[in-house]
Amino acid sequence: MAFLIDLTKCIGCEACSLACKQENHLPPGSMDKLSAVTWTTIERHGGVNVKRQCNHCVDPTCVSVCPVAALQKTKLEAVIYDETRCIGCRYCIMACPFDVPKYEWFSTQPRVRKCIHCYPRLERGEQPACTEACPTGAAKYGKREDLLLEAKQRIREAPGRYVDHIYGEHEAGGTCALYLTAVPFEQLGFKQIRTDTTYPHLTWNVLRQLPSVVSVGGVGLAGLWWITHRRMELAEERAKEAAESKREEKGQ
Amino acid sequence: MKRLALVPRWWALAALILAVGAYALWIRFTQGLGGASNLHDTFPWGFWVGIDVLVGVGLAAGGFTIAATVYVLNLKKYEPVSRPSLLTAFLGYLLVTAALVVDIGRPLRLWHPLIMWNPHSVMFEVAWCVTLYTTVLALEFSPLVFEKLGWHWPLRAIRAIYLPLVIAGVLLSTLHQSSLGTLFLIVPEKLHGLWYSPVLPAFFFVSAVAAGLSMSIIESFISSKVFSRRLEHDVLLGIARVTVVVLAVYVTWRFADLIGRGMLPLAFVYSQQSVMFWAEIGFGAILPLMLILASGDKIKERNLFFYALLVVGGFVLNRVNVSMTGMRNIETYFPKWSEVAITMMIITVGILLFGLAVRHLNVLAKSEYLEPGTTPGMGWFPRGAVTAVAVFFVVLVLLVRAAPTRTAIEAQAKPIPAAEALNVQPDFELSHLPKDLTLSGPESSMGKVIFSHELHVGMQEKPDCMQCHANTFGLGFQHSPKLEGQEAWHKACGTCHDGKTASSSVDDETGESCASCHKSE
Repeated sequence: MAFLIDLTKCIGCEACSLACKQENHLPPGSMDKLSAVTWTTIERHGGVNVKRQCNHCVDPTCVSVCPVAALQKTKLEAVIYDETRCIGCRYCIMACPFDVPKYEWFSTQPRVRKCIHCYPRLERGEQPACTEACPTGAAKYGKREDLLLEAKQRIREAPGRYVDHIYGEHEAGGTCALYLTAVPFEQLGFKQIRTDTTYPHLTWNVLRQLPSVVSVGGVGLAGLWWITHRRMELAEERAKEAAESKREEKGQ
Repeated sequence: MKRLALVPRWWALAALILAVGAYALWIRFTQGLGGASNLHDTFPWGFWVGIDVLVGVGLAAGGFTIAATVYVLNLKKYEPVSRPSLLTAFLGYLLVTAALVVDIGRPLRLWHPLIMWNPHSVMFEVAWCVTLYTTVLALEFSPLVFEKLGWHWPLRAIRAIYLPLVIAGVLLSTLHQSSLGTLFLIVPEKLHGLWYSPVLPAFFFVSAVAAGLSMSIIESFISSKVFSRRLEHDVLLGIARVTVVVLAVYVTWRFADLIGRGMLPLAFVYSQQSVMFWAEIGFGAILPLMLILASGDKIKERNLFFYALLVVGGFVLNRVNVSMTGMRNIETYFPKWSEVAITMMIITVGILLFGLAVRHLNVLAKSEYLEPGTTPGMGWFPRGAVTAVAVFFVVLVLLVRAAPTRTAIEAQAKPIPAAEALNVQPDFELSHLPKDLTLSGPESSMGKVIFSHELHVGMQEKPDCMQCHANTFGLGFQHSPKLEGQEAWHKACGTCHDGKTASSSVDDETGESCASCHKSE
């Protein structure tokens, strides 16, 4: 499941941010930007309001980098977090191409915090709190394929209205937050990131060599030892033989 | 006499570093990572990852390199180096583990990766390599302890499996050194083009070998001065030659890679990154390479020590560059005093443990010969070399701080125009109105106010959000009077509730108008 966020429909009322706070029992505090206590925010770029939350990538970077599988991609597409597993290495914060996960820096029992797509609501068959609260239909919830079709249709029907680009269709290999805009994305703080591959592939291409490195390396090293060791043995034998033949010569 | 008088001063310095470090540790574990470091959400890895982990692991690389030389390649000439380099590696990994306890947010869960698997994570591989290789190092090192205790059968047991142990150690090290580079493959945009490369894992491995070998030269020099035990010139020269070859391969590969990726021009753009790049490659790789090559066979040990110091310095700069200088948002981060204090404490503990092991275990056994008439102590301290390195670093920091930042250069190269106001009219149908808002005031309040969007919009001829939200209430809750207290609400509501357009919002003699909004239960 996914979000379709049409920036031309957003009036910036922040009903989504507030609904998110209530639903996830987040403490009050500034809602200006994403933080450990704000999982959905409205960024203001000139006159354009940009809703931001976790993009719930199709192949999420954070899920792939987590050493203890604390972050998981669920069947309902939501990327969720199990705080009982997390060791606090912060690799997810470091690796996320969208800078979504945030940390409780001043806690002695810190957690990673981010939008979890209101996963408990999804399991109950409801939609996320933010899309439910949105009064203008700027943020819509649905199946990714359906929303992608709808986004393409909106562009087709009003070509002068939209930039011909659905942000999230290919970014980071595809995300479950699809954005439509009238103003070029790069002016709205959207990162220009890789669209040719998902990020987990960048490290997996190296990691999957591991069995070959271990097996080939192990055999190679053992072989090297065998050659050098045998050479030493032979040298010793030859030295011994030479010494013996010398002795024999002397004996005769 | 003068030499001996210097010793207590070193102990005092060590005690001071440990005390300050302990205080910083206390801050770390009572106020969290935020209290003890300048790390934040857009710069989550800093000094501890860069120095303690990346550099710490790299400098331990002498352990597996020398072990492979002596036990796999059977070059027994280098046997005297194997024990000190093994000790360095073992201590290095123990201290890296200690640093991880400081750096990770929930250190009591350090063991989680061993139970909760995610084989797709580089960090998972790193965790396993650290655990396994520390175990292997402990086993490789254990004969020194058994010798001391006079335990014969465990000694024989370890010796029986020594070759497989060494091979396992070499493999684990290869994986671990390179996987620290693999960690950064996942940030192609965040890491600067001078360092991000698909072959980063290989660069990490090769540079660690050069640094690890240089560390054995440095250790030999210090041992010769402090413990009057040293390596033969021939052995040192052999290590230096291998280091030169490794460095030459490394430098060539780095530049070939930069050219191949079309990133070499970045090295000639004046920036914080290019200054650090040339410091790393120029002073830390090309310069020692040239100096060792030019010196020939009769190189003085003191000079060799200085060249090895340059290689290690270049290695440290490389890890600093990959983990910090080259990372996006570096201009928002500079390590806090407590970060440096904890790292210095860890290094000091390492040096103290090294000294302790050398005194009580047979670490320098096969290289020992006491020079008559020399007193072990710290009087040898190579003031010149260390002063030069210190001055170099201070100048470097000043140069880097004066250079333009990456953000500034990238913004200049590709200016992004500010977003203009929406060039199309908002087009939407209101699907539903926001829920009723309940505003509860302080105890003295007349009672809470329930604001109904439905009621208010219903009074408009045509629903128009902007009638109220354009100015009076703004759009978005943070701009609404909600956070500013009851006076603000009275004023804002009073725009319409002035007794003419709608019922008055201000108290009058009857108090009726209060009750029109405030409901007491």
